[in-house]
Amino acid sequence: MDYTALSIKEIHDLYLSGKVTPLQVVEQAIAKAQKDTNNALEKTTFAEALKQAKDLSNSPVEKDNLLWGIPYFIKDNISTKGVETTASSNILKGYIPLFNAEVITRLNNKKAISLGKTTLDELAMGGSGMSGHLGYTFNPYDETHKRRVGGSSAGSAAVVAAGIVPFALGSDTGDSVRKPASYAGLVGFKPTWGRISRFGLFPFTPSLDAIGYFTRSVFDAALLLEVLAGRDEKDFTSSLKEVNDYTKYRAGVGGVKIALIKGISDKITNKTLLEAYEKSLKELKNRGAIIEYVNIDQVLINAIFSTYFVLSCAESTSNNANLDGVKFGLRQAGETYLDVIKNTRTKGFSPLIKRRFIIGAYSLKQENQELLFKRAQKARRLIVDEVNKVLSKYDVIYLPAAPGIAPEFNQKADNLNIEHLVADNHLAIANLAGLPSITLPLCLDNDLPIGVNLTGRAFAEKQLFAIAAVVEEITGLKGLQVGSKK
Amino acid sequence: MKIDKNKLKELANDLLFDMSEQEYDTLLMEFGELVTQMKLLEQIPNVDEGEPLIYPFETTNSFLREDEPGVPLSKEEVLSNVADSYAGQVRLPKVVN
Amino acid sequence: MEYEAVIGLEIHIETKTKTKMFSSSPVDYSAAPNTLVTPTDLAHPGTLPRVNKRAVENAIRVCHALNMEIDETLYFDRKNYFYSDLPKGYQITQDKRPIGKKGYLDLNIDGQVTRIGITRLHMEEDTAKQLHILDYSLIDYNRAGIPLIEVVSEPDIRNGKEAAKFVELIREIVTFTDVSDGKMEEGSLRCDVNVSIRPKGREAFGTKVEVKNLNSISNVEKVIDIEIERQKQVLASGGQVIQETRRYDDEVKTTISMRVKNSAVDYKYYPEANLVPIHIGREFIDDVIKNCPELPTTKRMRYADQFKLSQFDIDILLASKDVSNYFDESVKHTTNYKLVANLINGEIATFLNKNNVQITSLITSPKNLARVADMINDGKISNKQARTILEHLFVEDQDPVQVAKKLNMVQISDENAILALVNVVLDENPSVIEDYKNGKDRAFGFLVGILMKKSQGKINPSIASTILKQEIEKR
Repeated sequence: MDYTALSIKEIHDLYLSGKVTPLQVVEQAIAKAQKDTNNALEKTTFAEALKQAKDLSNSPVEKDNLLWGIPYFIKDNISTKGVETTASSNILKGYIPLFNAEVITRLNNKKAISLGKTTLDELAMGGSGMSGHLGYTFNPYDETHKRRVGGSSAGSAAVVAAGIVPFALGSDTGDSVRKPASYAGLVGFKPTWGRISRFGLFPFTPSLDAIGYFTRSVFDAALLLEVLAGRDEKDFTSSLKEVNDYTKYRAGVGGVKIALIKGISDKITNKTLLEAYEKSLKELKNRGAIIEYVNIDQVLINAIFSTYFVLSCAESTSNNANLDGVKFGLRQAGETYLDVIKNTRTKGFSPLIKRRFIIGAYSLKQENQELLFKRAQKARRLIVDEVNKVLSKYDVIYLPAAPGIAPEFNQKADNLNIEHLVADNHLAIANLAGLPSITLPLCLDNDLPIGVNLTGRAFAEKQLFAIAAVVEEITGLKGLQVGSKK
Repeated sequence: MKIDKNKLKELANDLLFDMSEQEYDTLLMEFGELVTQMKLLEQIPNVDEGEPLIYPFETTNSFLREDEPGVPLSKEEVLSNVADSYAGQVRLPKVVN
Repeated sequence: MEYEAVIGLEIHIETKTKTKMFSSSPVDYSAAPNTLVTPTDLAHPGTLPRVNKRAVENAIRVCHALNMEIDETLYFDRKNYFYSDLPKGYQITQDKRPIGKKGYLDLNIDGQVTRIGITRLHMEEDTAKQLHILDYSLIDYNRAGIPLIEVVSEPDIRNGKEAAKFVELIREIVTFTDVSDGKMEEGSLRCDVNVSIRPKGREAFGTKVEVKNLNSISNVEKVIDIEIERQKQVLASGGQVIQETRRYDDEVKTTISMRVKNSAVDYKYYPEANLVPIHIGREFIDDVIKNCPELPTTKRMRYADQFKLSQFDIDILLASKDVSNYFDESVKHTTNYKLVANLINGEIATFLNKNNVQITSLITSPKNLARVADMINDGKISNKQARTILEHLFVEDQDPVQVAKKLNMVQISDENAILALVNVVLDENPSVIEDYKNGKDRAFGFLVGILMKKSQGKINPSIASTILKQEIEKR
């Protein structure tokens, strides 16, 4: 039986009924991982995983612990104690963290079993899955390896879409979980800012960053949030708000008010996507949802990407200033200490990253801050205010997660085309405003998945899951992965 | 916002890394795109009048950490990721002011 | 042309806490290198800052002592620059909203009071320590992240003496409030100076020169005055003062250029996104102030008003927090304040110095010292006898009354007894009486000396003198 293709809950039920052991499941996952050709993996920890699985198989199943014995992968920008963590950048070659990220500690406590780390766009700064130091990560839906799986959480999306594990951790700063989720037909979830501790997450843009994850069902996403959410004193930005019983959501949209942002949805041209989108709206209406188009000033919508881009480039230069080869990671020789640092950073960073850093440093320069960095922060406020205004009247914003299927590698992103800019980058709204957001598969176009995205009010994850579960039921794509029979 | 290659090289220097000539050319082009992007920000009416938003939502905490010692790393752990050390300290070529 | 100097000070203070400013790494200045370090101090990716409550309390104490407006919310910013002793590539500090602003410090120099404005006080973190040997630099991260307080004065200071006094008062404040050891020689108090000169009467500032590497208060005064002279010479010879950083070189006894500042460094300050603003509130601040040890200015006033001590005595007592604490304890048991002060500043100080002992290790309890003062005041013992008793108390803390009894030291103050002895001495020395009556004043002292000798020093000298005079008149 194909265990790793199942959801977390399904595997757990099999454990309970004694039909399978963690060792069998982990062995299967490892076998699949070893055969996988999508270039999704950084450091693997198969030996340790087998040992843990063996130990668990010799102990009684923990009945109310659904993560017990569940294999998973971790995006390589999340600290794992004793396991090399590189953020897919050469500058962190050989860096072995001395501590676990908070989310890893919690998953360890629940006896989930990590199989290792996955590839990402270098330092999480990218959305294509192409810029990691190990090269392109491929979209498992295209066996010819011509298509992106998106990014930056490329590897994590690939391993879940390929059915290797039921879930994988990622991070989302502009859309880095929710966009690849669309391209890979997965549930991709980003919580409210501060809901999950960022301790141990390599920072890209702290005021936008969130740890997120991929699953193949909405319930699994809710389950993970119950475990990962909550105040962590090691993260001063983590919320003190109490954690809800997210898995107890009551799937339903009766009386739920859904907002469609015209200025974004009317940029979509893909026919299959539009049809599926409209169909889902009809079905939601049938189930009692109140659906309305709302207007947000087009000028603000058009500015979403620029705002995100300036803020993230600027902050990333500061957040990566610790990468100098002095205390950890790659170090190159040099005559003077400045040479050491310079040679290290020159060799260790890819050209793309360097270009981003220069743009960022430029925006942070005292003389440019007003017109660049600060202006972006002010634009952020205006955009966020508008979005929150919408969410004060509606429960959720419902939009296609991407303009179409996963692009090919050689397709250039036309960022000067405003239509494309908007359709391709609107997910950043949830980062700018710190809102919980979930992508799930909506349809397939030529056998390639496209997702739809729901964004809700801050800390209203439980309701978000309740609505997403209905969408999941409407599409019939729960559990979608490569090789799924539809 | 006039930007030329020399300015870019200066910025790279400040950030302590180097790039190839082609990379600077690519970057110059990207800067052109940045300028176009920035125009979109400019178009927002009264964009400069409001307050910057630094965190996703206005939030304050009232929490401070108690001054109680935790467990430090051992010297070996500290040096475990260091490429070059001597007498228990991180070693670099001489830092002259 | 008459010039006046315009001087501003930037003082960094390492504050006493058990852990670092943003991490829970323990702090200990004597530890072996790299043994008091956590991943946060090494700027390992994914580590996050956590603000130390005691460090905030320390900052509030100093703000209070400097009469500053204290912000009820804490905001932190990043100061971005690269250097080998800066692990993160930025320092977390407070740029836009320092915890304290608009304060002042009054300098009292030779009776003249000058008020120096304090622009701001903020919290930040210290850098790692570097050791430069041979062709290498070695880095020890024990110090990286230790809490610092930075105090910036208005350019209200006019000469080296004022500057030295300012630093002295800051040192006094931070030691008395238990915020820091305040030792310039050890680096827990560091002082950078900005000096410029301008023609007297002009408002515009001259070119500012920063002087670093001042490692003692006396150097602060000396070096500033040297630098003022240097700048005056430069202008006198038709030159221009260059904006630069200089350091004091003790060998050549002058300031030497370190680096020229062609333009201000751009630190790209922006808010620290890993710390949301922390609202501490007025109640917290008031609580900290309430629990703050007595400020030196308050002590000064109290010693003058309540104990009526002289400035001279006060200055000596307040030179050390521990000494003043000892004094405070002692005067709880007596009203002979001046006597207690004298004993502390005299006998006790001599003993401590000679034996290299701190007053905190002094065996003599403040209570028993008070008793000694009382005994002197009541005429029960002479000063000389008090000294002897103290010698005993230095070794073993005991009731001085008992010691006096044991040593048979009780001072004779009984007038009848003294009268009897006086008459005996006068009977035995008629010629000396003659000498005194003939104008030889020294004869009186001679008679007092015999009295003291006959009574083994026990006789109360002032009573004896009075009675002696009386009786001589009668004869």
